[in-house]
Amino acid sequence: MNPAIALAFSLPLAVALAAIGSAFGLGKAVAAAMEAIGRQPEAAPKIQLAMVIGAAFIEALTIYALLTVFIFQGRVG
Amino acid sequence: MTSGLAYAATPASGEAALESPNIITLLHHYLPGFAVVEFLHHFEDLFFSAVVIFILALIARKVSRQSRSIPGRLQNFVELIVESLDNFVVGVMGPVGRQYTPFVGTLFLYILCMNLIGIIPAMKSPTSNVNTTIALALTVFVYVQYTGLRHLGLLGYLDHLAGSPRPQGVIGCLIAMISVPFNLVLHLLGELTKPMSLAIRLFGNIFGEDVLLGQMLLLGIAALGFMHSPVGIPLQLPFYLLAILTSAIQALVFSLLSTIYIFLMLPHEEGARH
Repeated sequence: MNPAIALAFSLPLAVALAAIGSAFGLGKAVAAAMEAIGRQPEAAPKIQLAMVIGAAFIEALTIYALLTVFIFQGRVG
Repeated sequence: MTSGLAYAATPASGEAALESPNIITLLHHYLPGFAVVEFLHHFEDLFFSAVVIFILALIARKVSRQSRSIPGRLQNFVELIVESLDNFVVGVMGPVGRQYTPFVGTLFLYILCMNLIGIIPAMKSPTSNVNTTIALALTVFVYVQYTGLRHLGLLGYLDHLAGSPRPQGVIGCLIAMISVPFNLVLHLLGELTKPMSLAIRLFGNIFGEDVLLGQMLLLGIAALGFMHSPVGIPLQLPFYLLAILTSAIQALVFSLLSTIYIFLMLPHEEGARH
């Protein structure tokens, strides 16, 4: 297969797969945080802070996949 | 006219059309060959971060030189920002953290303004270039290591990197002999990966957001291209709200992680005392 065509197919797929994984991770993290806030509303700021840190780590993985897309974008042409 | 429109959607970088054009790429397109324009085009991220620094410095100077006991509007606003940044750092690190507020607060304001300046038309986020974010992350890296060395001393710092082994008895010593090299490698790798992930996270988010805005702009122009309309559909407008959100969250995450890295470097007894 032509490398350009292979890249054109695989690059969007790579981001999509990474996004699926991140979406599951984020869903779990945010759901747990919301539950915790619901049980203990007075601890909301601390829980939110921890949730944002975790969310940043999770979504960084998708960003890495997105970066590879940007790096290889020129080869698709 | 059409070439101008086509240009508006495709910066003249020679590569794939990514971000929406800013004032410097426009100058470079319409006035090529001027030494000043070439210089600015070469250092465009530095130019825009200099603009941010200039604005921040101007506000800080104006407020701190004429600080009054009954604050005006601007002073009130700045005091609110400074106080909430201080609360943020102290909330993460405890009262010891107050001395790190200037560093973390500066990082936060600087990154936030650099992210947000990309939303203004004809401006560009300097953080959408990986070199800017690497510079910021290296600053954090050096500051964290310096803080560790200053508070722990050279031996304490090495002890921290080795995982603070406190072996007891012969078996404990044997276990420590095996575990210390592993811990050392692990900690060193961890210290080196931290700035890398900081830099790439900020760059990827802001660059991705700017590219999204640029592509939506392109799509809006292309949608009306068949009738040679001089303006496109402003498809990128809803994404500006997303961009504001990402900018604020990424600035928060960068400064929060820097705070946590400094906190982890501090002596544990001191750090644990809240």
